[in-house]
Amino acid sequence: MTHSAVVGFGRYMPAFRLKTAQIAEHWRQESGAIAATLGIEEKTVPGRDEDTFTMAFEAARQAIDTAGIRSSQVSAVFVGSESHPYAVKPTSAMLVTALELDPFSHAADLEFACKAGTAAIQIVDAFVRSKQVSFGLAIGSDTAQAKPGDALEYSAAAGAAAIILGPDTTKDALCRIEQTLSFTTDTPDFWRAADEKYPRHAGRFTGEPGYFRHVRAAIEGMLQTARMKAADFDHVVLHMPNAKFPNVIAKEFGFSKEQMKHGFIVPWIGNTYSACSLLGLTEVLQYAKKNDSILMVSYGSGSGADAFIMTMLRNGVLLPPDEREPQYLSYAEYLEHAHIPPRT
Amino acid sequence: MERAVSLIGFGQTRFGEWWGKGIKDLMAEATNAALDAAPCTALDIDLIIVGNMLAETLNGQAHLSALASTLLPHRPPALRVESACGSGAFALHTASAMLESGRARTVLVIGVEKMTDASADEAADALMGAADAEKDRPSGITFPGIFGLVAARYMHDYGLQRDELSLVSAVHHRQATENPFAQFRSEISPETISKSPLIADPLRLLDCSPISDGAAACILSTAFQSDLRLVASQIATDALSLADREELTSFAANRDASERAYLEANIRPKDIEVLETHDCFSIAALINLEDLGFAEPGEAISIYRNLYDGIPGTLAVNRSGGLKACGHPVAATGIKQLIDTGKQLRASNSRFGMAHNFGGVCATCAVHVLEHLPS
Amino acid sequence: MKITPAIAARAAARRPRSLQEGTIISLTTLTHPLAAFGNRPRTIALIRLEDGSKSLASLTAPGVIGQTVRPRMRLSHITEDQLRMYDVSYEPLALQRVPEHAPFPGYILALTGPSGVGKSTVSRLLLHACAEYVQNVPILTTRARKPGDEGEYRYVSKEKFSQWLEDGEIVAVTKIPSQDEARWYGYRARDIEAIWKKGKVPLVITETHLLQGLANHYSRRSILSFGLLPPGRSKRTMLSCLLRRLRQRGRETEEQIAARLDVAEQDLQFFQNRKDLFDHLMVNDDLNKVIDFLKKKVPGLSA
Repeated sequence: MTHSAVVGFGRYMPAFRLKTAQIAEHWRQESGAIAATLGIEEKTVPGRDEDTFTMAFEAARQAIDTAGIRSSQVSAVFVGSESHPYAVKPTSAMLVTALELDPFSHAADLEFACKAGTAAIQIVDAFVRSKQVSFGLAIGSDTAQAKPGDALEYSAAAGAAAIILGPDTTKDALCRIEQTLSFTTDTPDFWRAADEKYPRHAGRFTGEPGYFRHVRAAIEGMLQTARMKAADFDHVVLHMPNAKFPNVIAKEFGFSKEQMKHGFIVPWIGNTYSACSLLGLTEVLQYAKKNDSILMVSYGSGSGADAFIMTMLRNGVLLPPDEREPQYLSYAEYLEHAHIPPRT
Repeated sequence: MERAVSLIGFGQTRFGEWWGKGIKDLMAEATNAALDAAPCTALDIDLIIVGNMLAETLNGQAHLSALASTLLPHRPPALRVESACGSGAFALHTASAMLESGRARTVLVIGVEKMTDASADEAADALMGAADAEKDRPSGITFPGIFGLVAARYMHDYGLQRDELSLVSAVHHRQATENPFAQFRSEISPETISKSPLIADPLRLLDCSPISDGAAACILSTAFQSDLRLVASQIATDALSLADREELTSFAANRDASERAYLEANIRPKDIEVLETHDCFSIAALINLEDLGFAEPGEAISIYRNLYDGIPGTLAVNRSGGLKACGHPVAATGIKQLIDTGKQLRASNSRFGMAHNFGGVCATCAVHVLEHLPS
Repeated sequence: MKITPAIAARAAARRPRSLQEGTIISLTTLTHPLAAFGNRPRTIALIRLEDGSKSLASLTAPGVIGQTVRPRMRLSHITEDQLRMYDVSYEPLALQRVPEHAPFPGYILALTGPSGVGKSTVSRLLLHACAEYVQNVPILTTRARKPGDEGEYRYVSKEKFSQWLEDGEIVAVTKIPSQDEARWYGYRARDIEAIWKKGKVPLVITETHLLQGLANHYSRRSILSFGLLPPGRSKRTMLSCLLRRLRQRGRETEEQIAARLDVAEQDLQFFQNRKDLFDHLMVNDDLNKVIDFLKKKVPGLSA
């Protein structure tokens, strides 16, 4: 059986930040309590002239650079997002021209709440394994929106991550995808109607019937199919809607802090929705060692979970450092950046 | 010049915000003023040339040639010339060629612009037609921005200071107090100019010529003679976008057109006693003086310092008030510059005067030299 | 101007060309851009890209003339028809880039100028006046000695030059194609370093490519770079002055002089394009003035 492997990866986060304490202060809430429950210190905020496409572009460009291939060698691009710039006019097509990918590319936009990025990985994985393409791009990118005053405001963040997959026999291939599995049901825990600006969520219903049920099922299914145990993994990346949920799953399955360490990025970035698990993966891909085993499980409301087992083919590669200084915004500036009119 | 071409009549509207006057009204006013002062009659006009840049975009009116022709009872042949902000002088150059070739003997040249019907934003957008649509527009730049880039580089290269640059507009406004046709006729101090709102760093509001309505008309003839002889008419071009130029602080079209004009008139810069130059922005006035041969690179500010301090013997630059104080109805400027050159030559009984006009960021340039013959 | 789908498509096709790093030639901030571009001030720069072309584009943050920038994809504006116009915006990079070179090696005095401008005369006078402080660096060349050569060259075989090049001993190199074969020119590290060891300032009489090579190798700040220009306000005047001087020199045929003038034209262009490579541009119309100026500007020479 053939396998695909990560041959390049990249990511992009805006330079702007908003501290959760600022949000709490604006709504006259106790910032300490909020930070403790959510476990999020600050989140990324897009620049006024940034969106899902511009961030996806930057992440993909970095991925192409780290892969050391020509952009014209990539002939598949799938972009997962909840905030594609257009309802009709695909981000993936704009990327083909902007990145100068092979014009004979397979391309489409995906939506599956926060797991659209990993769904893209599964699709590209299948294209590579079936030898329909040599190299393909899977991207998760989002400028997550949240209604002012809603709990989601503390976590909804912006970012993008891109993975390039190629045959695992590619010279300098970094990380092989061994297996992938998904678990899907119709579960109304979080939704946004086509003409609405902000998503709605079902409060505590998002927990057990949503996140926990699906992530648990995906992990159990994955461990069984692969005949592996929780302790077998060197690194575990879980989708992070906040700091609490992934920790609950970790406790259930016995994942240690050591295993979760690198992928746990939510406290200083927030939940970047479709980019979330992929961003966690980009951290692991930098620091993992040859032969390390990785388990990644993402979750998308609506609902579904994608699980991946991966093996490092060589030591991790550091991405070029981001030399920009983070710029902290006031709450009012954040509203303008996120295109939220002053009075909603 | 192939034949003796004289400036036999001229007239203009005052430049300003003329809410009650449309394009035709402005053209008529300038034309009538020119004919009133000329030795010829309307029927002697055998060609009309209209200079205009924005009528299609801002007034929904192309075909100004036909419109202008109906101003005269015999509907003479007419044509329209466009060269952005240099349209006026390019219309003069076209007239000169028609006269020198013998195709016409008495030509009425009108420069007209009606800019205040549109919003300031629409006007700024329309003026960007003088730049490169593909290379300049996408960046979101406007003309103040283009000259802001020029000014920033000039200050970087030559160490020009903000308070020095303010002398330029200060001189122009002071000189305009004597000009009844100027849009603005009060003095403005350099300090006020230095503190006016930033438009395109380092250029401030009072570094920028205004948006105005107006028209100016000249009658050039080989059939009638006057004491004002056109002895040079030269044009030149340069790359449209700054991105295609090698330097920002000197304009090749300025140098080429003026070099050719000096050659044609058989004179040198020191022979010019009266100059009307294209100060769309204050920094342009300095660069023009250097390009036209009146100052070394980086040193033109000393001419404005001398003008400000009233040092006698300094070249008369923009005694009318220039574009800044007179207003800048785009295509009318080139014609008005020739008129003011003629007036000043007569008033000071000097011999040679130069009218210098350009379009865009000097992507096109036209230079005319008038010789004032003793009566 | 209304941006239509066809205009947007052409703009998107051109965009990849702008994805290069560059340097800021000039910049301005528009306090009130056109309405389509938003309510906030917009900083726009003229940028020289790595491939030598220039671009007018917005900056993601304020910068300064001479600063290096990198390309970023940004949403430029949204048209009335809700088409999103994306464009490359440039991000100024940190002003201090940690230098990868060894510690500051010392100054090199470089005199660059087109053929016929008088470089050899100036350098001869300078070397004579400041022999204790300045020493000429020989230019290695693979061409044969010619009548009129005044000792500024060191003649080596092509094989030796290639060997030194391979061994990394040559710090700046250029090649001039001629009819039969290319002639190589260059400077050897140890020739320059030997002069430093003596406590003197190496003097190079050079041309544009070699100057660039020296700046790349030793870092720009090591070069005290003087451009020598012929008198004249316009390029035409300058070139006719050079022509006169080349003829006066009497060393070459008219054909050779014509070829030199072509190169001279490029050289003059180089002074305009690459002002960043020169600390001072001098007009060579009065030799004494030029020497005085040089002595003033080079540390240690005016003593």
